[in-house]
Formats: sequence, C-alpha cells, structure tokens
Amino acid sequence: MSKRPKLDESGDSDDLQALFDSIAAQPITSPSPAVVQAVAKDVADDGAGDSDELQALFDAVASKIEHTEEPSARSGSDTEISGSSADSDAVFNRIGQMTRQLHDTLRELGLNHALQDVAKAMPDARQRLDYIAQMTEQAASRVLNATDIARPLQDRTQHASAALRARWDRLYAGEMSPEEFRVLSADTRAFLGQAESDSRATNAQLMEIMMAQDFQDLTGQVIKRILQAAQTLETQLLQVLIEAAPPTVNVEHASSLMNGPIIDGKSRDDVVTSQEQVDDLLESLGF
Amino acid sequence: MSDPKLKFLVVDDFSTMRRIVRNLLKELGYTNVDEAEDGAIALQKLNSTPFDFVVTDWNMPNMDGLTLLQTIRRTPQLKHLPVLMITAEAKKENIIAAAQAGASGYIVKPFTSATLAEKLQKIFEKMGRPA
Repeated sequence: MSKRPKLDESGDSDDLQALFDSIAAQPITSPSPAVVQAVAKDVADDGAGDSDELQALFDAVASKIEHTEEPSARSGSDTEISGSSADSDAVFNRIGQMTRQLHDTLRELGLNHALQDVAKAMPDARQRLDYIAQMTEQAASRVLNATDIARPLQDRTQHASAALRARWDRLYAGEMSPEEFRVLSADTRAFLGQAESDSRATNAQLMEIMMAQDFQDLTGQVIKRILQAAQTLETQLLQVLIEAAPPTVNVEHASSLMNGPIIDGKSRDDVVTSQEQVDDLLESLGF
Repeated sequence: MSDPKLKFLVVDDFSTMRRIVRNLLKELGYTNVDEAEDGAIALQKLNSTPFDFVVTDWNMPNMDGLTLLQTIRRTPQLKHLPVLMITAEAKKENIIAAAQAGASGYIVKPFTSATLAEKLQKIFEKMGRPA
C-alpha cells in the first residue's frame, strides 16, 4: 500500500513536462537538439511514448555528449584546456542530471504501463467476481429451497411408514381384529398412493438440486479468467516492485482479525485447520 | 436438556449461511429463530426483544461479530447471553481474542451439524452449572 502514492506520482505528466522543458532549454547548437525536441514532442503528445522513441531520445542525448566533448578534446593549448574544462564540468553535470531524469522517466513510463493494465484489469475482475457471487448465491438458494420442499415429504413418508409398520406388526402378532385389518388394508393402500406421489415430488427436487450445480461450470470458467488476470497483475506488479523498491524494504505483515477463510492452512502455524484444534486451543486457555 | 422454546438470534451477512444455521437449529429441535445480517442490526433486535442465545459470524459489515460480542458483554441486561461464534476466521489469535472477549463457543467454518449440536450441548451444560 505504501508504494502506491509514489507510483501514482511517477505517472505525473508534470515530471515529463519538466524533462522536456529542460531539454528544450539547452543552449547547445549541435544537430541533436532538433531531434531531441522532435522526439520529446512525440512523447509529450501521446503522454507515454514507447521505448523506441525513448531510445531515440536517449541516443540523441548521448550523441550530444560526444558533440560537446569534441571541441575540448581537439583543443591544443593549455590555457584553452583549463578554460573549457570548467565549462565542460558544468555541461557534464547538466548532462548527468538529464540522464538521471531520463532514466527515471523511462522507469516511470514502464510503471505507467503496468499501472494502466492494472487499472483496466481491476473493474473486469470485479465484475466477474460479482457474477460468481451472484451465481453461487442463486445456486445455494435453489438447493435450500429444494430441501425445504423435499424434507417435509420425506418426513411424512417416514412417519406414515413407521405407523403402518407398527400396525402390521400387531397383525402378525395376531393382535388385530378382522375389522381393524380391513381399515389397515385401506390405510396401507392410501399410503402407497401417497408414497408414490411424494417420491415423485422428492425426485423432482433432487433433480432441481442437481441442476443447481450448473453454476460450477460457469463460475469455473470465470474463475480461470480471473486467475489469469491475477497472474498477469502479479508479474507486472512484482516487476514494478523490483524496479522501484529501495534496497531495504520493510515488509509489513498486515495483522488483522478479519481475513476470511484460510486457503493455505497446512503451510502455516498461526492458524487452525480443524474444529479439534479450535477446541484444544480453547481448552489450553482454560475455556 | 435445554428448552426447545429457547429463542435464537442468528447473525451472519450471508443469507445462505443464516438459512443453513436456522435449518440445523430446527433439526436440533430449536424452531424459535430470528436472523440479523450484521452486528448493528443484531444489537437493535437484542435491545428490543428478549433472546436466549446468539449465534454470530465474525466478519460482517457495519459491526463485526467480535464487536457485537464485546458490546453484549458490556451491556448489563445482555451480558449473560450465551454467544456462539461460527466463523471462517481460523487464526489462533482470532480464537484467543474471541475467548478473551467472552465467547461461549467457537466453531470454524465449514462445520457439521454434529459440531453445532456438541457445542450447544457444552454451552448449556456450562450454563446449567452455577457460575
């Protein structure tokens, strides 16, 4: 998180503008400034020049170094050397600063690309995750609704069967009158009809539960897309970090009590992975 | 054994989870169940109607389960309520924090109906004993 404001700033076009201004203001009359200005203008126009243009800009500045160097190298007399060396020191300093600025800008432009991709990928991933949340919630509701319908039917069958079974047991034990048996027969016949229709209705709900699993196919595909995007983002952000991070980075492990489900519990020792471990921990604390 | 008329409040921001817990409680014989979708709504309900038992998630918007638990323990007329946490938070420091805040039980998701039955049983046993 602490990196972000810095990254955002680095994309600031003010920096670029300052660079262009400083290059344009150079009072050197070698052929290169025209190239520099032209290239600089290109970069300014599209806001984020590609690396070819920047390479050209770099080359232009580099050739400028050679051009400015030539006069002092070719100069013959001692007095001339001492006089021009003070000038060339200033020029070298200036060029050094510009090269540094260019290097920074190159880096920043790289970051810019990465950040643009991140910015584009995020809303897409958010939408897709939204879709997954919707689909899974729908599926859960469908399944819960189906069980709400099917369970009373099963309960009815279970209870009626148990009651009839008890009455049939009495018949087999010879404890039933013929009149009672006639009633039992009629009740059993009615039960069989009821059981048939209840079974059919329960079956329909089982089918509904099965069909509710169709979300898995759809969300599975979407999750794969998000995984791809996340992987790309990770690579880019890692690159940004490697380029922009100071040598000593304080890695802060965010300590929070709201982390959601633990995905990698097996590889960590600060989490529990089963209810037994919860119970053991609580017991060890005296609860 | 506990009274089947006990009034439960199930607090979770996911309706699916609320329904599952409600169904499990029904299976265990407790049919008097109300629901709240976060700690803030739960507190409103607890303050306006008498409840006997709170089952709460941890990670919720507006007011999380730990804050709800702490608030319940701070409120004189609510502090004796048993509070069972059912949560996906599985860090040891979570469990310790919940225990220190006065949770009556802690269940990690995903969980089974047997686990819920066992924890409820344990809490009722403790309540039955004079503190």
